Amino acid sequence: EAAPKSLREGKWIPVACWGDCGSKGFNKVYVVDGVITRSGTDDTITDSPTCPQLRSCAKGRAQRNRILAPDRLKYPMKRKHWAPGGGEKELRGRDGWVRISWDEALDILASEIKRVVGKYGNTAVYMPSSATGTGTYTEVERALKLYGGFITDWASCSSGTWTATGPAIGLPRSRSGTGEDLNDGFDLANAQLIVLWASNPAWSRAGKPVYALLQAKKAGARFVVVDPFFHPTAAAMGVSTDDWLPIRPATDHALVLGMMHTLLVEDDPVSSPLVNWEFLHKYTVGFDRDHMPAGADAKENLKDYVLGTYDGQPKSAEWAAEICGVPPERIRALARLIATTQRVTVIMSPAPARVNDAQSWPQVITALGAMTGHFGTPGNCVGSDAGHAWLMEGPELVKGGTWIGRPSDFPDRPRVVNPVRIAVNRNELWDAVLTGKYTAGKDDVRDINIQMMYFGKASRLNQIPGAVKGIQAFRKVEFVASQDMFMTPHCAFSDLVLPITSRWERFGEVSTSFRDSLLWTSQAIEPLFESKDDIWVARELAVRLGVDPDVVQPYSSKQDIFNQVAAARVISDDGTTYEPLVTITQADIDKLGVVGTPQQGRIGFWEFKEKGIYHFPRKPGDKFGHIVLKDFVDDPREHPLASPSGKIEIHCQTLADKIEAVGFSKIRPIPAYTPPTEGYEDTFSDWDKKVKGEYPLQLLNLHVPRRAHSNFDNTRWLQEAFPNLAMMNPLDAAERGLRNGDTVVIRSRHGKVLTRVAIYETIRPGVVGMGQGAWIDWDDELGLDRGGCTNILCGAIPTGEGHQGWNSCNVQVEKWTGKPLQPDHKRPLRVIEG
Amino acid sequence: MKQKAWYFDASSCIGCKTCEMACKDTNDLQVGVRLRRVREYGGGHWIVRNGFEQPAGVFTYFVSTSCMHCQEPPCVNVCPAGAMQKREEDGIVVVDSEKCIGCGYCQWACPYDAPRLDPTTHIMRKCDMCIDLQDRGEKPACVANCPMRCLDFGELEELRAKYGDVDTIMPLPSGDVTKPSFVVTPPKYPSQSAGGRIRDLMEA
Repeated sequence: EAAPKSLREGKWIPVACWGDCGSKGFNKVYVVDGVITRSGTDDTITDSPTCPQLRSCAKGRAQRNRILAPDRLKYPMKRKHWAPGGGEKELRGRDGWVRISWDEALDILASEIKRVVGKYGNTAVYMPSSATGTGTYTEVERALKLYGGFITDWASCSSGTWTATGPAIGLPRSRSGTGEDLNDGFDLANAQLIVLWASNPAWSRAGKPVYALLQAKKAGARFVVVDPFFHPTAAAMGVSTDDWLPIRPATDHALVLGMMHTLLVEDDPVSSPLVNWEFLHKYTVGFDRDHMPAGADAKENLKDYVLGTYDGQPKSAEWAAEICGVPPERIRALARLIATTQRVTVIMSPAPARVNDAQSWPQVITALGAMTGHFGTPGNCVGSDAGHAWLMEGPELVKGGTWIGRPSDFPDRPRVVNPVRIAVNRNELWDAVLTGKYTAGKDDVRDINIQMMYFGKASRLNQIPGAVKGIQAFRKVEFVASQDMFMTPHCAFSDLVLPITSRWERFGEVSTSFRDSLLWTSQAIEPLFESKDDIWVARELAVRLGVDPDVVQPYSSKQDIFNQVAAARVISDDGTTYEPLVTITQADIDKLGVVGTPQQGRIGFWEFKEKGIYHFPRKPGDKFGHIVLKDFVDDPREHPLASPSGKIEIHCQTLADKIEAVGFSKIRPIPAYTPPTEGYEDTFSDWDKKVKGEYPLQLLNLHVPRRAHSNFDNTRWLQEAFPNLAMMNPLDAAERGLRNGDTVVIRSRHGKVLTRVAIYETIRPGVVGMGQGAWIDWDDELGLDRGGCTNILCGAIPTGEGHQGWNSCNVQVEKWTGKPLQPDHKRPLRVIEG
Repeated sequence: MKQKAWYFDASSCIGCKTCEMACKDTNDLQVGVRLRRVREYGGGHWIVRNGFEQPAGVFTYFVSTSCMHCQEPPCVNVCPAGAMQKREEDGIVVVDSEKCIGCGYCQWACPYDAPRLDPTTHIMRKCDMCIDLQDRGEKPACVANCPMRCLDFGELEELRAKYGDVDTIMPLPSGDVTKPSFVVTPPKYPSQSAGGRIRDLMEA
């Protein structure tokens, strides 16, 4: 009898995982006769807490089930009732599909681009910015740039208000460029107290980061949790719910002000030193009237604002408690605990910065860190994780590719400039399509006429707020084209859909994981069905548009990957300079048939390719650690910050001016509290009398283990393990007569969704917790989404720096009296045979 | 007698279900067949005090289980076809797919709900501790993939020497019932006496 296939002789091949999840594990697959039989993870090194294997998460281990799924797009398709100019546009999203050849598909794409550009100009063509998410490359953008360009969009999404506010107040640009920064992972073990503030890496940064936290727990750190949700990270860190401050979403700023007030009124230099005045005076400006930046109004200081000196409203713990829902005695206790503990690490996700009008949030939390002196020394830092380097901060120890393997970003390819310089804020994108207007700056609203949308990447329909308007926008323009692996929501509302290969079907990629490992993943299988990679699509499109395909992509894939491997760098023993990582011989170059130069590195070319991973060896106390603001704190004269004062700007005119120039709202130079649009206060129709309004609950938009944004939502194994649901507290559920598993309709000012409710004591009352990224399953008859997409509920509300405010959204929940929803894994996959 | 066993650290499991996915992948399991399963168990309630909603005794933790390769396995005893067998050499309980008639008695008898019917082949599937991988010097897939290093396997006596001899945690039945080959580190909070329930929607 033949051995089972999984045991037959095959070969392990390192393969990509590219979902922009905020983490990155290592995956490999076992291939027997061209067929993947099972997958595995990192076993290239002996596992230890200081040098752990880079193990993948549930998504990584379900990747095979995703890539080899029956709902992969198989052939190019056009919408049944499509015609040049749109045809029956209102049928987008519910029309049938017709299988076509690649030639016909590319001809349609090119001719519609030519038609729209000919009729309206290049400013009528829209393509999304940021390449994260779908895993597609950006070559189609290069083709369109060569053809005269297109308009695009802008916003801060992941990092929220840290993007503009962090650098403005003087925080150094970390790897994310946003001013978000934390200490090196090893330094966690130096903290006596770790505050997890809106931070649940068990869900949002699966894999290595939470294992680093576990080492801090084992070293004896006490954990405190500030979050509307007592999450799995809290549970695994052994936190008692007595150490959980169940805060309302979008009210973090008020809590911090209440803590500051406590510190100010209870501070006594002799009997109870709570405020680190020395730190404030040496390293900051704007905290009190005697330490203001040049030219500032002395009354406009944070201390007098907190004490209510001029506005008559002390921002006391009682004032804060009314807003944030944490009792005043617990606000005071947390303030004292942070102030009186020597080594405190406050870790937060950017979630509190993804709130409407939250542009002063990074400033106020940084001010709290300064007030308590928790910066610049081991065990101390107060900040947000740097987007995609979670708890693994500091300069890269290895460099190469990018963190999601995006060769298009690689610097050796000539840059192609977009001749069109128009970008619409994402909060206004669908409105811009529908109304023909967008905001270009302060008092500057301009006309725009978007008639074509081309999604070569980025799931805009599903992944930005205001999706009901998005659907209308999709049905308004003359042409929509998408390329993807699956019938994603934006594909479903397109006229033309092109099937794209997964990265397991491509030549390979080089990408970093955290700061200390570099991955080189390779092709495991041939392209499925008729799918093609984006580079091929872009070159074919270029030919049809009459632009040079060799400018679109100048190298073969083999040369491209070789260039990336050759360019990979590793930090030198001096801890500051970099040297080549990979040893390449002339024989290697000849064998590959590429252009290159031999070099000496630390790992051989073929060894790296076979293993697929290079681990930079670390040990505690080595010279590769990182402490936020250490140079500045050690010597502020020698290492001033990039702000005008050279210090942390608690009064920051630069920020106030910047926000005003954007054109959506105004702020004060000090971090005064602005009630967020659709925050907690807006759940009331009468705040003073405490009368609740039509939308009395707050939506908490969570990263869930099922998905990386919208990626993996259609993966059966993950659907079964992590059903989509709305978490509600038993008090709210009882008030509405809801039982576990009931189908509910959730309404906001912007749209309606159906989902199933799960009753959790671990989510605070007044809050509905839902995972972001569920695919829109729009029901035209009912006018609602059966998929449970939170962007149907969230409004696209431009405020502050034009960031996206997903955690400020008011909702109401009711039991659904129609047909109950099936569990996700029992609903049909979007299998389209054409 | 040799007895292979599981260790599980409930005090640091994050419920990420990587073990479940690794099991699915290694054993090529379709939806509906979960040979390893992570469940969330929790409880407590909320009270309003001084106008503020406050948690009272709220707790939560995760339990990852598969077949416990019990020392007194009821699945073996009830199987009318003699398909369910406990191996002499290591105490691993396996199902002989040639003999299995898919009657489901074993699943009904198992207090851990471990054997599962494969809806395509109509025979029972169950965890065999990845014996084919172990034969090749690999660890069971769930153990090798756990991002928190919460899972371990080995000889029962060795695991007990290393991790203690607790074999019961809510919502699992008392270890007295089937003598599971299982060692668990309970979470710090709460005490197990606190009333709770399985939270997962799929399992409710």
